[in-house]
Amino acid sequence: MSHDFLSIYFAKSLEYVVAVGYLLLFIPFWRYVQGGRPAEVPAGADIRRPAEDFLRVRAPATARPAMAVRPAGATAPRPTAGWFHLPAGYLLHPGHTWARLDADGLVSVGVDDFAAKLVGPGRVDLPALGDRLAQGEPAAEIGHDDRTVPMLAPVDGTVVAVNATASEKPDALEDPYGAGWLFKVKPSHLAADFRQLLADAPARRFLEDAGEEIAMRLSPGLATVLQDGGTPIHGIAQALAGDDWDQLARQYFLT
Amino acid sequence: MASPATATLSPARAFIREKIFLGMDLKDYLKSNLTAFNIVSAIILAVGIPLLVIRFAYGLGATTNLSQTAPWGLWIGFDMMTGIVLAAGGFTIGATVQLFGLHDYHAIERPAILTAFLGYVMAIIGLLADLGRPWNIVMAIFNYGTASALFEVAWCVMCYSTVLFLEFTLPASEWLGLKRWQAIMKKALIALTVLSVMFSTMHQSALGSLFLLAPTKLHPLWYTPFIFIFFFISAIVAGLCMVIVEGALSHRAFQSLVDHHVDMDKLTIGLGKAAAIVMFAYFFLKVQGVIDGHAWGLLLTPYGALFLVEVVGFVLVPSLLFAWGARNRKVKVVRFAGAMGVLGIVLNRLNVSVIAFNWNQPVRYVPSWMEFVVSISLCLIGVIAFRWVVYRMPILREQNARAAH
Repeated sequence: MSHDFLSIYFAKSLEYVVAVGYLLLFIPFWRYVQGGRPAEVPAGADIRRPAEDFLRVRAPATARPAMAVRPAGATAPRPTAGWFHLPAGYLLHPGHTWARLDADGLVSVGVDDFAAKLVGPGRVDLPALGDRLAQGEPAAEIGHDDRTVPMLAPVDGTVVAVNATASEKPDALEDPYGAGWLFKVKPSHLAADFRQLLADAPARRFLEDAGEEIAMRLSPGLATVLQDGGTPIHGIAQALAGDDWDQLARQYFLT
Repeated sequence: MASPATATLSPARAFIREKIFLGMDLKDYLKSNLTAFNIVSAIILAVGIPLLVIRFAYGLGATTNLSQTAPWGLWIGFDMMTGIVLAAGGFTIGATVQLFGLHDYHAIERPAILTAFLGYVMAIIGLLADLGRPWNIVMAIFNYGTASALFEVAWCVMCYSTVLFLEFTLPASEWLGLKRWQAIMKKALIALTVLSVMFSTMHQSALGSLFLLAPTKLHPLWYTPFIFIFFFISAIVAGLCMVIVEGALSHRAFQSLVDHHVDMDKLTIGLGKAAAIVMFAYFFLKVQGVIDGHAWGLLLTPYGALFLVEVVGFVLVPSLLFAWGARNRKVKVVRFAGAMGVLGIVLNRLNVSVIAFNWNQPVRYVPSWMEFVVSISLCLIGVIAFRWVVYRMPILREQNARAAH
């Protein structure tokens, strides 16, 4: 038996059993290896909670048919609704920067639609790789020519990637949530930081509030006129305040 | 980059000062080399290099315990088989980045290629000292013994070393400022990677094919007609494990040289996932090898115990550790499994070519102290050469990387 050349049927059956056994085991093994936590554990975070919990992402509003049929007497939609959009999964800092948790555990950061339209295409100054950022502290700058306005970091962390395209082609900010992302950070206090940010309905309301305020500045009462769907053009701040556009922007960006 | 003191020197001296002495003059440079590691290395090499010269001049008989019945000792089992398999990281990561398009791993591609290149150079230097008439090695180019496994080995070594050298000229030309060559090599890199995968696949498996010539000499637990496939798959395991271990060591040792952020933890976990899957498959193939050789009855012998240590202890266990570590993002566990994987492959190559080879001979081969010193010296020269290159050439950093902003 120790080195038995005659046991060919036994050996062959054993080979088939091992081969089939391997294939059956390989499936759960593969799933086990590929599974696990999708993101790195943020310091101080509850590791059992999936990333979605941090984001508080819910089904999109279109899934709620009750919204489509408005009962009589309900509040009319605000005229500034739809001026500035915000996709699902993005969290807003009150300084008009957004944060998005990516599948690899990094947090992408950019400026929101309001900030992009307020300042308009121009210059973008990004932080350096390896810079340590703190939530609420200036991280990047946007502006025109020689004048820029700081934008606040929405989360704490270390800069691990910057979007060189955004600084080279400032019209990347036309798509502030896509090609116009500014940098990525390896977050250090993700859970705590995300609790400070606005998501979903509060975030949209925040943008609408900012839009309404701007509309009032453009022309008192204008907001109601614009119900026909007109949306503000890029570079509102310059249109409103001329050379003092940066002072105006700073009010909104809290810098 | 030139230091103020360099500005007044002649171009040749300025080159030596900036490129060779790291911006120091000779006195400071020599002083900077007085470290504990260098002193220990110097002592080992003071013994090892003369032994290598003696081996070259007087042959294997003068410096080893090899005999006509045991002609394959450490010079094959460690210097050649292990040296080559641990160099497999070059083609594994090269293919990952250039062919599979996983560009995240680009940060570890150059160190892996450098390790592979130095591994091959050390194996060749060792071989030239080992061979009785080394000048006859060129005959492999002119004699087409296509039925010989050694013919394939010789051609693959020549071709793959050339490809690795060409890949290495990319950082070297950046270092020397040869912009034209650098531009050519950057374009050629993908073609070179294809060639490197081809030649190393053939070479790793051809080393296994050598054992097809000696079915009765190798213990049945290790011998199988599929041994060349095992050699190739275990080379991928070794490549992944070596890159994990070497990446952890070099990013720690040369941290000051890394000028861009590399998330080594993420890369390590990615490599760990790949290693878990490959080792899992390799384990079952080894089991099939035993069944196919009808050798299961030998598992209860001392050789069987050694086989189980190798296959369960250093293949299955690290595979499960990789899986658990990668799933739970425990980088230290993945690194530990990587070190186990490297040891497992070293053990496999030593088992196949030394310990379980000629297993039924009455007189066993035990290496002499000189063989150990020569093998350690070759490894040490490789490590020192790696460090020398990393301190000078853009291996862990990239000179032409796009500015951050």
